[in-house]
Amino acid sequence: MSEELMRALIAKCNATIAAHADELTALDRPIGDGDHGQNMARGFSALAAAADEIAPLPFGQALQKAGTALVMKIGGASGPLYGSLLMAMGKAVEARPAGTKAAAAMLGAGIEAVKARGKSDAGAKTMLDVLVPVQEALAAGATIAQVRDVADAALAATKDMRATKGRAAFVGERSIGHLDPGARSATLLIHAICDVLEAK
Amino acid sequence: MTDMARDLDWIVGNAVIRDPTGLHARPAVKLTRLAKTFEAAIEIRAEGGGDWVNAKSPNAVMKLKAGAGLPLHIRAAGDDARSAVDALMALVQRDFHD
Amino acid sequence: MTDTVSIVIVSHSPDVAKGAADMVRQMVGEEVRVAWCGGNPDGGLGTDVAAIMAAIEKVYTPKGVAVLVDLGGAETNSEIAIEMLSDGRGAHVQILNAPVVEGAVMAATEAAGGASLEAVRATAEDF
Repeated sequence: MSEELMRALIAKCNATIAAHADELTALDRPIGDGDHGQNMARGFSALAAAADEIAPLPFGQALQKAGTALVMKIGGASGPLYGSLLMAMGKAVEARPAGTKAAAAMLGAGIEAVKARGKSDAGAKTMLDVLVPVQEALAAGATIAQVRDVADAALAATKDMRATKGRAAFVGERSIGHLDPGARSATLLIHAICDVLEAK
Repeated sequence: MTDMARDLDWIVGNAVIRDPTGLHARPAVKLTRLAKTFEAAIEIRAEGGGDWVNAKSPNAVMKLKAGAGLPLHIRAAGDDARSAVDALMALVQRDFHD
Repeated sequence: MTDTVSIVIVSHSPDVAKGAADMVRQMVGEEVRVAWCGGNPDGGLGTDVAAIMAAIEKVYTPKGVAVLVDLGGAETNSEIAIEMLSDGRGAHVQILNAPVVEGAVMAATEAAGGASLEAVRATAEDF
C-alpha cells in the first residue's frame, strides 16, 4: 500500500534529519553558510506536517507534492535541489516502482533535474557524489545492504574532493578534508529510506 | 559616432554642471529618463574630450563621468530636437531638480 | 500610462532587498513597479520560493519582469519560483546576470519609458 509506505518514509526521513540537524550544520559551517541543518530540519518538518495530504496521493503525485513542500520550506541552496530531485522523480513514475531497476530509472530522472538545477555534475563535492553512485548501484541490481555501503563509501570520498560548486567553491582548496554537508544529508536520507524498505 | 551621425542636422547646446560631484548616478538617471521622452536622437559629450554618447542609454550616460564646473555638451537631431536640447539644458541648469 | 517592465529584487537579506528597491524608487520614480523579498521562511538570512513567487506576482505584467538576485540560493530559488508560476507567466520573467543594486537601478532606468525586457536585460548586464 503506497499510502502506508509514504507515511513511513516521510516520518523516518524527518526523524533522521531532525536527529542530525546539528551535525549537518557543523559540517556546513567551515565550507558553507552554516545553515544546512536548520534548513533541512525546517523543510522536513514542514513535509511531515503535510503528510496527511501527501501520503494518500498516487505515488508519483505524492513525490511531486513532497518536492514542492521541500522547495517552499528548506530555503538555502539545498531547497531547490532536493525539491527538484523529488519533483522529477515523481514526474517519472505513476505508481511505486516495481523492483530495483525501476527505482534506478526513477532516481536517474531526479538526478538529471538536480544536475540541471545546480548546473553541476558528480565530482564537484555535492550531493550528486552520493546520488550518482547509488543510482548506478541500483541500476546494477544492488541489494539494500549494498546500497547503504555504496552511499557510505561515496560520502567518505567527498572528503578529499575540492568543491567547485555552491558556497563551498568560494573556499576552494580549503574545502578539501571536509565531508560535504549535502552529500551527508543525502546519505542520511538514503539510510532512512533503506531502513523503511527493509522493515516492510 | 557613426557615419550617419555626421550627416545629421544637429541642434546644439550646452550647460554647466554645478553639482560638485559632477554628473553622478542620480542626475544621470534623470537625464536619461528625460531624454527618452523625446523622439529625436540625442547625444551628450563631456567637456575636454571623449566621444558623443547616446543620452538615452543609461550605461553610456552613467559612464560619461562629466565633471563639475564644466559644460555638458548636448546635441539632438529630429522633429523635436529643439525642445529636447532646451529641456536637457534646463535640467542641467536647475541642478537636476524636478 | 505606458506599460513598463517590472523589477523584482531577491536578496538573502530583507534589508538589502528593501534598500535596493527604495533606491530604485527614489532614483527612477514610481513609473516602474518594483517588488522585493529577502530572508528565509524563518526570517533569517536566505531566500524563500513562496515569497519570490509572491513578489513576482505582485508586479507581474506580460510586458516582462526582470529579477535581480544576489548569491547562490537566491538564483536557484528564483529559477524554481519562475518555473512554478501558473498560466505560463514564467515565460515573461527573466533573471538578469547583474549585481543587485546597480542592476536594479540600470534595469529600471531602461524600463522607464517602455523598453522591452530584452533591452532592459542588455542594459543591466552590460553595465
